[in-house]
Amino acid sequence: MKEQYRETDVVRNILDIQFGVLSAQDMQQLSHAHVVSSELYNSTPGSRQPASHGVLDRRMGTSQKDVSCETCAKNLSDCIGHYGYLDLARPVFHVGYFKNTIHILQNICKICAHVLLKPKDKSTLCEQAKRINSYLQKKALYKRINLLCKKMSLCSYCGAQNGTVKKLPPLKIVHERFKTVKKGDPVITNYFSQFDTALEYNKELESQLSSSVIEFLNPSQIPLADLPLLCMDQQFSHPKDLVLTRLLVPPNCIRPSVISELKSGTNEDDITVMLTEIIFLNNLINKRSSGKVQSIQDSWEHLQLHVAFIMNSEISVPHDLSMARKSTRGFVQRLKGKQGRFRGNLSGKRVDFSSRTVISPDPNLRINEVGVPIEVSKQLTYPEKITAHNINLMKQLVRNGPDVHPGALFVEPRSTPGIKKSLRYVHREKMATELRQGDIIERHLMDGDIVLYNRQPSLHKMSIMSHRVRVLPWRTFRFNECVCTPYNADFDGDEMNLHVPQTEEARAEALVLMGVTSNLVTPRHGALIIGATQDFLTGSYLLTQKDQFFDKEYTCGLITSILAGKEAIYTVDLPPPAIMKPQQLWTGKQIFSMIIRPNKKFPVQCNLTTKRKDYTRGEELCSNEAWVIMRNSELLAGALDKSLLGSGSKKNIFYVILKDYGKDHAADAMWRVARLSTLFIMNRGFSIGIGDVMPGSGLLTRKQELLDDGYGKCDEFISQLKEGTLHCQPGCTAEETLEQLILKELSTIRDKAGKACVMELHKTNAALIMAISGSKGSFINISQMIACVGQQAIGGKRVPNGFEDRALPHYERHSKIPAAKGFVSNSFFSGMTPTEFIFHTMAGREGLVDTAVKTSETGYMQRRLVKSLEDLYVAYDMTVRNSTQDIIQIKYGGDGLDPTELEGNTGPIDLERALDHIRAKNPFPEEDPLTGTEILQLAENYLANDAFKELSDEFKDELKTFMEKFSKKVDKIRSRLSKVTGRKALPVERHIERLTFTQLIHFLNSCLDRYQAAVMEPGTAVGALCAQSIGEPGTQMTLKTFHFAGVAAMNITLGVPRILEIINASRSISTPIITANLKDDSDPEKARQVKGRVEKTLLGEVCEYVEEVFLPDDCFLLLKLAMDRIRLLKLEVDAHSIKYSICTSKLKVKEMDVCVESDTIITVRPSRTKASAMYYQLQHLKQHITQVIIKGLPSVNRAVINQNDTGPGGVCRYELLVEGDNLREVIATYGVDGTRCTSNNTYEVFTCLGIEAARATIIKEITVTMETHGLSVDRRHVMLLADLMTCRGQVLGITRHGLSKMKESVLMLASFEKTADHLFDAAYHGQSNPIKGVSDCIIMGKPMNIGTGVFKLLHSHRRESKPRTRTLLFDHPDMHVPLSLSGWS
Amino acid sequence: MADEEFDGDDAGDDFEEVEEDENLDDLQEGEEDENQTELLLLGEGQPVPVQKRITTPYMTKYERARVLGTRALQIAMCAPVMVEIDAESDPLQIAAKELRERKIPIIIRRYLPDGSFEDWGIDELIISDF
Repeated sequence: MKEQYRETDVVRNILDIQFGVLSAQDMQQLSHAHVVSSELYNSTPGSRQPASHGVLDRRMGTSQKDVSCETCAKNLSDCIGHYGYLDLARPVFHVGYFKNTIHILQNICKICAHVLLKPKDKSTLCEQAKRINSYLQKKALYKRINLLCKKMSLCSYCGAQNGTVKKLPPLKIVHERFKTVKKGDPVITNYFSQFDTALEYNKELESQLSSSVIEFLNPSQIPLADLPLLCMDQQFSHPKDLVLTRLLVPPNCIRPSVISELKSGTNEDDITVMLTEIIFLNNLINKRSSGKVQSIQDSWEHLQLHVAFIMNSEISVPHDLSMARKSTRGFVQRLKGKQGRFRGNLSGKRVDFSSRTVISPDPNLRINEVGVPIEVSKQLTYPEKITAHNINLMKQLVRNGPDVHPGALFVEPRSTPGIKKSLRYVHREKMATELRQGDIIERHLMDGDIVLYNRQPSLHKMSIMSHRVRVLPWRTFRFNECVCTPYNADFDGDEMNLHVPQTEEARAEALVLMGVTSNLVTPRHGALIIGATQDFLTGSYLLTQKDQFFDKEYTCGLITSILAGKEAIYTVDLPPPAIMKPQQLWTGKQIFSMIIRPNKKFPVQCNLTTKRKDYTRGEELCSNEAWVIMRNSELLAGALDKSLLGSGSKKNIFYVILKDYGKDHAADAMWRVARLSTLFIMNRGFSIGIGDVMPGSGLLTRKQELLDDGYGKCDEFISQLKEGTLHCQPGCTAEETLEQLILKELSTIRDKAGKACVMELHKTNAALIMAISGSKGSFINISQMIACVGQQAIGGKRVPNGFEDRALPHYERHSKIPAAKGFVSNSFFSGMTPTEFIFHTMAGREGLVDTAVKTSETGYMQRRLVKSLEDLYVAYDMTVRNSTQDIIQIKYGGDGLDPTELEGNTGPIDLERALDHIRAKNPFPEEDPLTGTEILQLAENYLANDAFKELSDEFKDELKTFMEKFSKKVDKIRSRLSKVTGRKALPVERHIERLTFTQLIHFLNSCLDRYQAAVMEPGTAVGALCAQSIGEPGTQMTLKTFHFAGVAAMNITLGVPRILEIINASRSISTPIITANLKDDSDPEKARQVKGRVEKTLLGEVCEYVEEVFLPDDCFLLLKLAMDRIRLLKLEVDAHSIKYSICTSKLKVKEMDVCVESDTIITVRPSRTKASAMYYQLQHLKQHITQVIIKGLPSVNRAVINQNDTGPGGVCRYELLVEGDNLREVIATYGVDGTRCTSNNTYEVFTCLGIEAARATIIKEITVTMETHGLSVDRRHVMLLADLMTCRGQVLGITRHGLSKMKESVLMLASFEKTADHLFDAAYHGQSNPIKGVSDCIIMGKPMNIGTGVFKLLHSHRRESKPRTRTLLFDHPDMHVPLSLSGWS
Repeated sequence: MADEEFDGDDAGDDFEEVEEDENLDDLQEGEEDENQTELLLLGEGQPVPVQKRITTPYMTKYERARVLGTRALQIAMCAPVMVEIDAESDPLQIAAKELRERKIPIIIRRYLPDGSFEDWGIDELIISDF
């Protein structure tokens, strides 16, 4: 059984993890065996006895079941394993610290080992290094010191010459000491003369000696005082330990040998094999130690590589040294990657008490239930403790045993903890009688148990929710279709997982926090995510039509459908029938009202007035029945569709019930609607057939007209293009303009055809009903089936040419007519022609590829978002903090409100609806209505109360303006009435827009309550919510990337690529655009001038011609400027400014060689001094002079003037859209209003305007991108993301680079990416990692400090007040019998 | 998946180093002020007096969940029940009933980011929705 987590029981609590480098001594102290033998097993044949002092020595633990450890004498499951060590014949570099080793060598003097810094720097930096306790700062300082040291070449301590230290592949380090010194310098000759004597005696050394000498350095020389400068912690890591002289041999249990079944012998783990190889090489070197220098060097190199491979087998090695190795798994490979230790075993673990099977729908189950097959329920158990309350039930369960359903599998008596008795093999009757309180029964899953239910991919918190169990026959998991949306499930073969929480605490948390009813609303934008779907919508829509009348039998039959479960005992009040004669008939709306509020005592009084999408006019007289009024749970007008019953909307019946009457009533109402609408639609019958998609003759002629008309226009455009009369759009070529015009024309054909066919269809058409009610399909789908499939787009354009100059060989080359470029004029009903079919499959494939690419990309994005945001939470002081208690936001979202609770679009309450609700619910008929001025007066007085101080100023203002508006409305209506009639108001007229005193007070109080309920609860993991709220809609975004920014010519990247750009904080984005407002934005001429100043203009663009001129005594380049063009473009250039541009360009032309001959003619002469021939110079000039920038910013390719009609009084306003970077220069341009310039490039904005501007840009860009895809995300989520990205004073992307600058926790970084690098770095720095973050806690198996972990619980000793001290009996004077009377005297 | 494939794209990393160093200077200047570190430690482990409590008087859903869970566990381990119960045998339901009647003998210790804490009894807190 899973152990309960109990804080008081924990003897030791892991507070932090210390990383460090083991020294050779440490290794020996840790070890229990010295490993020297390269043999694995004793040589005696058949014995399979591990060789002593070998790699498999049993003193290092055991890997077989029947053998016990020789050190601790425990068996396989209990022995934790023991280390061994082996001594290396020669020291080698540790591959993990190789980079650090190089850095150290760069930092120190190679003679005296002191750090290469000026004494002055040394002391200040040393001070800094000692004071730093943040890991981030330490890493930064490390880099800085390394940079400083690299610049030094003379040691300030001993004055020795130091060269550069470089890596030489594969694992060698070179010190080029004399690189800066010239050859033949006495320093070098002196240096080499040292070796003369040695060379005399050993000729072999000569080959080892070359100009670049590898010097052996003794790292232990580094003075301790200099250690902080290397950013090492002397307690835990020393430079000398970075070079290995000894190797730790891991215990046997992590590299078990498997006895092979196929062949005799064992299969050894990679690590074991590599260790034996190292020992072999070791012995080889020891044997050869008196041999040739070269062979020792070779073996040494091999040893170095083998030791490196055991750490990391993926290091790059030159081909000749790779020794034809098969791929092995080193330690680093065991840790990294998705299946590695960190992500595969520590952050996510395998679980027990779970099951998985196919899902199917069941509208009869309640919203929060899940149907579990009996077979499954007999396997999954819950360990229930016997108490006085449940002992009888438990006895029965024990009697039933493991095979009868409500039974039990095991009993764990209190007397023998940890020992479970299987009920299969005991006398169950006897067992049942012997049950005592405190025994634990592992019982079957039963009705009402709490389980977690999940479908992958788990993109948001609603992907895993807790349900209550209903044990049912058959083999599938079942649940109400209303809950499909959060899981994104359908029933085409999907499978889902079910987990059973095993402790009371887990059950309580699952029920309260993860329950389906607690998650009706998505935190993404605060709308319902669980709501009626598909058939429920169709059924409700049909039922609430105005022509639906039912007789008494049918009405009662429908109503009784809700009498099940806890509703079985409800009384239902049948309202008076809508039609009495000739027959009593009830309307569908009445039936629906009865479902929402079955009887008069039922508390739910839902009030809602709204309009559907297809609303025309006339309020409740709308011909589409699209004006919906529900008053006190009575549906007065309107048919119900998806916006009123389904998910994703706030003007929703269930949402209103949820807000006013709580989650349980909302969930119950949803279930009742599900029951009713399925029953109704089953009785009525609903199906779709070929007749539903057959176009009538009228539609066919209309479609033909549309096609002829559209084709005619397209032909016209094409001929215009040929004649060259096509009017180009700004910034577009004629071809591009044509494409856009045709595309626009063709899409109108489809739209008009769609509208025509919706008009044409009868209102009983099944496809139309489904589209209108929102249950399935859209109007586009209908029109594609009936009228016209429309243009097939690939990459947002018409079908490209796959053949020579044409899309398909069935058409003329260069043909631009609609049919040749993928326009499908047929409908799915009429059938497509072969060419149309090909085009259709092309577009279809693009969609499939899109989805495939998208899933992996968004999945990775989500992972990164979650990793970076996982530890943000709202602290009890309402600040948003991370696990190291750094403040990310002072108040969550600026107002501390919870996006889940917001009813209005911005504020926490939809005031208008709330007021209507209060007025309808409590009529107070005896009270007199207030006048407008009274309302305002009273409201203001009441709002001044102390209680209302809790409201934020914004909300208070919103409330006040609302009250003002309302009071004005009241006054206006009443005064108008008296004006029209011209008499004093009748008493009854005062009841228009009636609001009484008590109602007003009720309203204001409810506003206060609702506001307080909407405040974010401390402990909420707002970071995780933010990550999910941005990541999840990412999966819904299509990769359709382009969109027009204001003008058609300007495309901006959108969709997933754009979101990625923003959150990666990319320096160069694919479509940077600067929006520049102009100082004078009403004058197009001025705008064109500014455009000329900004846009990059090349000399070639304003030249009429460039000619070489050869004269007998001279040769030059003649440039003729096109003055007309310059004037047209409003370029502020003349010949002199162009001369200046040429001279300052990269062409390196001297000033005297450029000559302005006249206003339009410039000559350029080749330089006479240069070595190359003048002819070539001239050619070179001719080629490159046209590329000289004469005006504008080099980084700006294009600027487009955008016309905005939204100015006051219909005046056209102009602004400049600049394609390119360099915001700073654009702002500085004359004519641009610098204070109103923005760029969509975050990094540009950051460097130019600062971090706050960058934050605002991130928020704006993400919001815009989401909005263009029709996805709404609450601004608080986006704000939090932007705040996190900018909280360190620079824009950090949500990437591994940004993350390692944001987070302190080594474990968190290691479980993200670059596992090994982070671990080695931490060890080098001797970093200690406190276990505080979410990832850290998961890895260590501790409860995290978020949500239910932000506080602690204490027992409240409710001490009884001390009983009153009573005076002793005989202290009372009455009790004293006077001595004289007692007779004693 | 695009993760874990990152050999050799460290070029972007090198660009950023320069600014980072500038940034470090700022951070360190801020730290010269030694009062700052002491200030942080002031509240460590200190209770906040009842009158000076600043946290919300409402019980958060996390507190509710944990209190219910802890109490349910106590009841499952045969702790005496503080309310009248009818036929309920589920410890969680009994705990919920106790919470409704504010009879749970538990104090919530809310930690503030500076390490100080506030103690709130179950009966002091407003329990909004159920």
